[in-house]
Amino acid sequence: MITALSWKNIWRSKRRSFVVMGAIILGVWALIFMVAFYNSFGEAFIRSAVQYEHSHLQVQTESYIMNHEISDHLEDADMIINKIEEQASVAAYSDRLIVGGMIASPKNSLGVNAYGINPELEESTTKLRSQLVDGTYFEKVKRNPMLISQEMADKLKVKVRSKVVLTFQDIDLNITAASFRVEGIFDSKSPKINGSTVYVRQDDLARLSGVSEPHEIAILLNESDQIETLQTQLQSMTSDKVRSYKEVAPEFNLMEESSAMTQQILTFIIMLALLFGIVNTMLMAVLERTREIGMLKAIGMHRQQLFLMIMLETILLSIVSGPIGLGLGYGTIIWLGNRGLDMSAYADALKQYGSEAIFYPTLDSSYYLYLMGVVVLTGVIGSIYPAFKAINLNPLEAIRKH
Amino acid sequence: MQVIETNNVVKVYNQDHLPVKAVDGISLSIAPGEFTAIVGPSGCGKTTLLNLIGGLDHPTAGNVTVSGVHIDTLKESELTDFRLQNIGFVFQSYNLIPVLTAKENIEFIMLLQHKDKRQRDMRVNELMAKMGLSETLNRKPSELSGGQQQRVAVARALASKPKVILADEPTANLDSKSTEDLLDIMAKLNSEEEVTFVFSTHDQRVIDKARRIITLEDGKVISDEAQ
Repeated sequence: MITALSWKNIWRSKRRSFVVMGAIILGVWALIFMVAFYNSFGEAFIRSAVQYEHSHLQVQTESYIMNHEISDHLEDADMIINKIEEQASVAAYSDRLIVGGMIASPKNSLGVNAYGINPELEESTTKLRSQLVDGTYFEKVKRNPMLISQEMADKLKVKVRSKVVLTFQDIDLNITAASFRVEGIFDSKSPKINGSTVYVRQDDLARLSGVSEPHEIAILLNESDQIETLQTQLQSMTSDKVRSYKEVAPEFNLMEESSAMTQQILTFIIMLALLFGIVNTMLMAVLERTREIGMLKAIGMHRQQLFLMIMLETILLSIVSGPIGLGLGYGTIIWLGNRGLDMSAYADALKQYGSEAIFYPTLDSSYYLYLMGVVVLTGVIGSIYPAFKAINLNPLEAIRKH
Repeated sequence: MQVIETNNVVKVYNQDHLPVKAVDGISLSIAPGEFTAIVGPSGCGKTTLLNLIGGLDHPTAGNVTVSGVHIDTLKESELTDFRLQNIGFVFQSYNLIPVLTAKENIEFIMLLQHKDKRQRDMRVNELMAKMGLSETLNRKPSELSGGQQQRVAVARALASKPKVILADEPTANLDSKSTEDLLDIMAKLNSEEEVTFVFSTHDQRVIDKARRIITLEDGKVISDEAQ
């Protein structure tokens, strides 16, 4: 009975109810869009970092992680690689021999990490070939070819086919220098790679450094939800450290946590704005009905029933408009999730963060449920003051009110 | 036993920090089934007395008994329940719920009493027929004339089967024809439903129909006559 009366009361002033509903719908839609957009920024950053830099899993020795010494190479790389190759969940892998050193051109010199790679494996793992902006991918230069970034080429003032000298300590701690020819220039999505990584053939680096085993194996999976399973599996068979990209780069965890926190803050701010709107509207609705509320109290409606009636009016408004906002938000996210949101206008700034310029907004389905609960809760909280105002009206004075 | 008894009831209001005695030591008894009009000039305390009898206001001194219950001793929720079960109100400006139909307005008070649908339907149909409102069953108050609205208000007051109906200037907003019709219906219901009617009124037509007239002046009863 009270529910039916509350429902009818909502439509007493259609315009006002539509304004409140519009505010709820818009608020919910905007919140979904903002949260999904923020998520997509984080995901674009992580996706880019996984795809072009860290991969999903990395295997290294504990001492290499700590010291990055040339001698800290994997001891059982073949066994690990064999196991990786058996896994259907693995999309690609790349084993890398890594030495820290200095690259010098006639004009300049820079500190670098030289990655000795198997070009085919690296290509499938980090799409290195697709990042070339000039030259070729280990195809034309027969002796000591090297790929360097555009950024590095600019600093060293070199171009394709220029000669550079790589100097580093070999396994016996002797300083070794070798001449390499720039075969290709790449532009990675990762600022870190652009700033400090050069790629050479693994055989060349092994020959020069005296290290035959890789220091690192990077593994790219078909699906990111398979990370934990493979990590556990590999970890059980080696004493080396198998780490996920989140362990390799803890800033991803920070990003995820800050994303969750931003989600909460945005929800709070929008719901707070909505709350004031609801309180204002419901208060107006109560004050307009003072005489009627007085009559209801006079004829025998209890305070609790009156309180419930006012509260139900707001809850019903939330229940009707909340799902519309959720539906619109869901539709927008699905559409943008498939089509992508082109942020090319900000591509340069995004590149500094190692992020792609196309965002794909996504939102966990649990957030929709959570948001619906929050909307109803906001309605409940928003109705408390007007409802108290109603139940505290003196029926006698209320009935006299004109 | 008397259905309404007031014993030396006093009601003092503070108006601009000055005490004003709206009701000044009124003692009266009203028997079941009476059709009583409380009359007197504006400000004589008619409405205040009605509000005290209806438990909408509390006496400053004295006590009010309705159906044997000292209503001024009841807690607010008990008083609300008491009003729901024992007293029907008819207001000068009808005070129907605008979003409900005539039928729903009448039914509403029975919903508050938790009556089942069958009981509600029977009572609504009975009252609508008695009040000549069968045609207006599904019309909202805004679609009814003043007379029809006041008849719906009377039907609503009667729906809960109260012992007493308190009507504050029920005909003040009605034309002659509507007033005549309403008074005829109320007189008929007074005998059929065995419910006590107490009006506060200025309206001579109501006074003429009343069987007992209590006249107030300055918050005191100056005459109490049967006619």
